[in-house]
Amino acid sequence: MELLLTLRKIDMLEKVLPLVDGIICGKYFCSAYRFSKEELVQIRKYCYSLGKKFYIVMDNFISEDEKMLMYEYLDFIDTLNVDGIFFHDLGVFDAVRSYSLRSRLIYDGKSVMCNSLDAAFMLDQGIDSVMISRELTLEEVKEIAVNHPGKIDMQIFGHLRMSYSRRRFLSNYFRQIRKEYDYFDKETLSLIEEKREYKMPIMEDEGGTFIYTDYIFTMFDELCELRPYLKRGIIDTLFVEDANKIAQVCRDYRRINESNRDFIRESFYHNYPDHYSSGYLYQKTNITKDEQN
Amino acid sequence: MSRIELLAPAKDLEKAKIAIMYGADAVYVGGMFYSLRSRASNFDKADLKEISRFAKRYGAKVYVTVNIIFHDDDYFGIREYLRYLEEIGIDAVIISSLALIPIVRQEAPHIECHISTQLSSLNSSAVRTLKEFGADRVVLAREASMDQIEQISRKVSVPLEVFIHGGMCSNYSGRCTLSNRMTLRDANRGGCAHSCRWKYELYDRDQLVSDPGCLLSMSSKDLRASAYVERMIRCGVASLKIEGRMKSEYYIGQVVRTYRRMIDEIYMADGLSEERLTYYDNELSKAENRPSDDGFLSGDCDNSKHLYDVNGAGVTHDYVGFVHDFDENRNLALVEVKNIFARGELLEAFGPVLNNESFKVEYMFDENWNPVDLANRPTQMLLIRMPFPVSKGDMLRKVSRL
Repeated sequence: MELLLTLRKIDMLEKVLPLVDGIICGKYFCSAYRFSKEELVQIRKYCYSLGKKFYIVMDNFISEDEKMLMYEYLDFIDTLNVDGIFFHDLGVFDAVRSYSLRSRLIYDGKSVMCNSLDAAFMLDQGIDSVMISRELTLEEVKEIAVNHPGKIDMQIFGHLRMSYSRRRFLSNYFRQIRKEYDYFDKETLSLIEEKREYKMPIMEDEGGTFIYTDYIFTMFDELCELRPYLKRGIIDTLFVEDANKIAQVCRDYRRINESNRDFIRESFYHNYPDHYSSGYLYQKTNITKDEQN
Repeated sequence: MSRIELLAPAKDLEKAKIAIMYGADAVYVGGMFYSLRSRASNFDKADLKEISRFAKRYGAKVYVTVNIIFHDDDYFGIREYLRYLEEIGIDAVIISSLALIPIVRQEAPHIECHISTQLSSLNSSAVRTLKEFGADRVVLAREASMDQIEQISRKVSVPLEVFIHGGMCSNYSGRCTLSNRMTLRDANRGGCAHSCRWKYELYDRDQLVSDPGCLLSMSSKDLRASAYVERMIRCGVASLKIEGRMKSEYYIGQVVRTYRRMIDEIYMADGLSEERLTYYDNELSKAENRPSDDGFLSGDCDNSKHLYDVNGAGVTHDYVGFVHDFDENRNLALVEVKNIFARGELLEAFGPVLNNESFKVEYMFDENWNPVDLANRPTQMLLIRMPFPVSKGDMLRKVSRL
């Protein structure tokens, strides 16, 4: 399994790159990453120099009006000789036809990639791999991964994206309450539902509004078992500010095994206290309203 | 150019028949399994067979939603189910699992695959991808503007379906799992708790920045695209879709009838005047219980298109009765009571053929011919003396709040 990290700040690169197999980043268009073209070239070179892999994310939906920007971006990506492109909008699959990039595509359908058959369908189209949904149980993950060994990618650390809207919830809200506030593209904002207590990070940028889980998803206990089947494991650093914490999880995920995992997990939780969770790995979410009542 | 299709939702067999009688060219319904509206999906196999038979009599089509986001276990029985749908003459399945396309081709070769809005197809390249995958029709994302719909329509050959009326997800369809986290109900498998409509405090680190008197909500107004129907017809959209598989027969009847008449008038008169559009908008308002707007069709959605303090706006008309039969000799309508009304009140009757006709309730009797002054028992059957003929399937509503 390749251990990959999403890079949010260029000044973290030297610290984290030696700890992982490659990094994932992107440009303002079509992702929550903020790098300029020049910075992406620079990051790419640095990855090359250390023998690390370099992936680009195209994480958003693309409107018809934005298609020219998509093609411009793909022109640029084509020059980077990337190791892969994580894409979300199925339009990218059609658009890369003329770039010979199809075999380097990684489909990240977010919450819609939940089963072995859909994974097989996308893999049959000639793409490199598929990123599975974050809403799966461990048993479901295992079933998909075992059915497609070495073709499945998975987020293994970080806040999980819960919603993505084209609507600008923060802009609209501040306009509604007539309040001037510096909210745009800011990673420090969070929501608390009025009858609940936990804080869910929310961010608005050019692509719309995104809400993430209150907790940081971790896989200390499951990684050893899944590692042989996964092609890539992704550590997502969005909303994780502490560079030392990020570096430590990279080191820990690299060295974790059946015999040291309890020690590693407990040390990490002790040294970097936060709200951690195994997400949906042990929690089915197919309860109906009737069952709930 | 083929005529545009009017596609209506139906919660159950009765409402599907209403939708077809009131002018839908096609209805979409959910079976007992595999459908996103778990509480609405009560078409068992017999109901599906019956609605397929009923629709064919009217020259209408039936589409079955198989649009949950499948987990591995959910596929159990799907092949047998598809074979049954083929056998009873279902016209299409609405799917979000792309792996179903080859399965449908194998098991039900006469059934079309329509790609659900769950895949949020927002550009012509995405539509082309889906066509390459085998889609027979693509439902566009509700985030597309009218200009974008026109551009997409010009660039693709696969038929497009566009939402024109009803509730809007505030997030991209299929990409919202708020409900999963907050209620353990999977939004993508029929359990959506509408967490987007709840109220939220907003913090910047530990500082409260929301207004306690007006908390943040993601709730959006409903969609009403009446002003865009003519452009959609002209740009070649194949199907106009009404949302609302949880809605009442009154809502279905009124909304379907209004769009049916509007579409027919556009074709017949080669357009629609402002005056006529206003008339149709007023008709649509009679069925509304939430504020509406044109969503993304006119561009991005600003704060005027959100609901912060209001969840429902109330309807201007109360649905009070459903006509089951009419005795022409005695001018008596057999009416099922749906909501309270009284002798002496002004009601309005309407139906698939019947225009809005007002009348005062002069005489009502129960089935034993006892006079009734107050109809206040839902499902009770009453005989009402009518000043004009009505038909089975017509509905009665109050107009007092107009």
